Amino acid sequence: MTESWLSTFPGYLATLEAVKRLFANIIQTGPVPQHIGFVMDGNRRFAKRENIELKEGHNAGFESMAKILEICYECGVKSATVFAFSIENFKRNKMEVMWLMELAKARFTQIVQNGELCEKYGIQIRIIGDKSMLPKDVLEVLNEAERITKENTRAILNVAFPYTSRYEMTNALKNIVSENVDTLDLEAITEKYVEEHLYTGDQPPLDLLIRTSGVGRLSDFMLWQVSKKGEVEMELSEKLWPDLTPWDICWILIKYSFKRSYHNNTVSSLKKVD
Amino acid sequence: MTIKSRVSIGGHRATDVSEAVKRKYQASSSLKKGSALDKLFSYVFHLILLACYFVYTIVRLVQYTNNKLRVRFLNLAYNPSKAPQLIREDVSKLGKIPKRLSVILTLKSEEEEGGGFYGLLNDAAEATTWTVAAGIPVLSIYEYDGVLKNSLEDLRISIFKKLSDYFGSSAVPTFSIRVPRTNKTYYGVNSDEDLEYKSGEIDIQLTLLSYDDGKPTIVELTKTMAELANKKEISPKDISIKLIDSELVQLIGYEPDLIVLFTPTLDLQGYPPWHIRLSEFYWEPDNEDVTYAIFLRALQKYSTCKINVGK
Repeated sequence: MTESWLSTFPGYLATLEAVKRLFANIIQTGPVPQHIGFVMDGNRRFAKRENIELKEGHNAGFESMAKILEICYECGVKSATVFAFSIENFKRNKMEVMWLMELAKARFTQIVQNGELCEKYGIQIRIIGDKSMLPKDVLEVLNEAERITKENTRAILNVAFPYTSRYEMTNALKNIVSENVDTLDLEAITEKYVEEHLYTGDQPPLDLLIRTSGVGRLSDFMLWQVSKKGEVEMELSEKLWPDLTPWDICWILIKYSFKRSYHNNTVSSLKKVD
Repeated sequence: MTIKSRVSIGGHRATDVSEAVKRKYQASSSLKKGSALDKLFSYVFHLILLACYFVYTIVRLVQYTNNKLRVRFLNLAYNPSKAPQLIREDVSKLGKIPKRLSVILTLKSEEEEGGGFYGLLNDAAEATTWTVAAGIPVLSIYEYDGVLKNSLEDLRISIFKKLSDYFGSSAVPTFSIRVPRTNKTYYGVNSDEDLEYKSGEIDIQLTLLSYDDGKPTIVELTKTMAELANKKEISPKDISIKLIDSELVQLIGYEPDLIVLFTPTLDLQGYPPWHIRLSEFYWEPDNEDVTYAIFLRALQKYSTCKINVGK
């Protein structure tokens, strides 16, 4: 790792900070994705490869997430959705589920205490998914994190925990149907209306989806938001999630910026037709 | 100190800092309008971005050439030459094949080679034929505008022709075409009334999908449920993943195991969102042609991937 010896130089952190800000200034002169989705895949394979405990693998995944989100928010991303835990993940072995819950609890406690990420960027945390499946102590910490960051308006972090897209869509339809129990208004029910009832309905639409470890599936993540004609860029990286560096993200952002500046004439004309 | 009290300190700090951030932000936005120096800075920044674009363009050019060459090579290496035996041989080497396959086709402009309406018909017919030869019993074809649905007779004829090209006119595989939501199924080229044809084993069941089978269908389903709930025939509590799934399976069909996109990028184009939960996607970057090589590569990739729900 180059980072480890580089980081021993004095002023390393300050330089890094400056470079980040410079990059953000540069990228913001062009189009920046307003909403990014992350499927953080590969923590376990990373642990196996590095011969470390599974727990440590998940930890490395979290570190990587924090770094990547920081650069995204610095660059002006308004909304990020991270797939932290799938409802299906409850099927994993009990020990691992327990670790993941403990990890989430510890990290969120840390976030609400030090609030590095949230303070610096004014980030509002939202937990999306079927929260009723969570253990009580974890739920309390998560609710606390939501409550404390409620007033932040600069950017949003959606933590999908535990989430599946089918659950989200079902939930949206359920809410719409409940609205119509007493007064029926069929005219109001449109695609846009359903989209507004998804958890991310009040946020900018998804522009970019990043999935790591070379898997070509969505695994029940933001299915509705992704399936649009020419509006969402999908970035499938061969790297494992903990290996993904801020540099990779910078490159992805440049790529996005380029595509939106030069290819998007076709997309905007499509939108007009719609 | 308890967690809660610490937490509230954190909260205080958070608001202070966000105030500071806001001030900084406002300051920078007011600067934008302001001095010439800042304008100069933003020009310089944009110039650097353009330089990044330039680097990206070069990288992209190399990639593009590479991809095009690879696709061309693949097309040379894998040519079915209208022989189902060759396809069967290729597929028999694979550890597993999908039970349900889906392809995404696009209507290309008339000027392009293999483009236009007849190009699309040909693509659909070829994809169907390869699927039969590979021994996959279910195929759905997605085309955004539903062009294929609106020209069923042409499609039936071109599939029939293509099948007899490959399999010989004495052993044309049987096929059925289902158009979701109209609840109609068509058999063979003109065997709708032929009971023997219909009751026999159908070699390939085709479903034609378009944008309307995706989100608009979910919207329709919502309306229906809202009406029922209004009449107190169902309660919102009854709406579950299982219920919606069974409705959508009935209306549209099952989720495919593999979706092959014959498009240059991974763009799902409004493909029915409920139906892509665990589907594997395959596309060849910068390729627009519907060729057997891409079809086979997709099956090869699928045979190596492991799907484990949640694990």
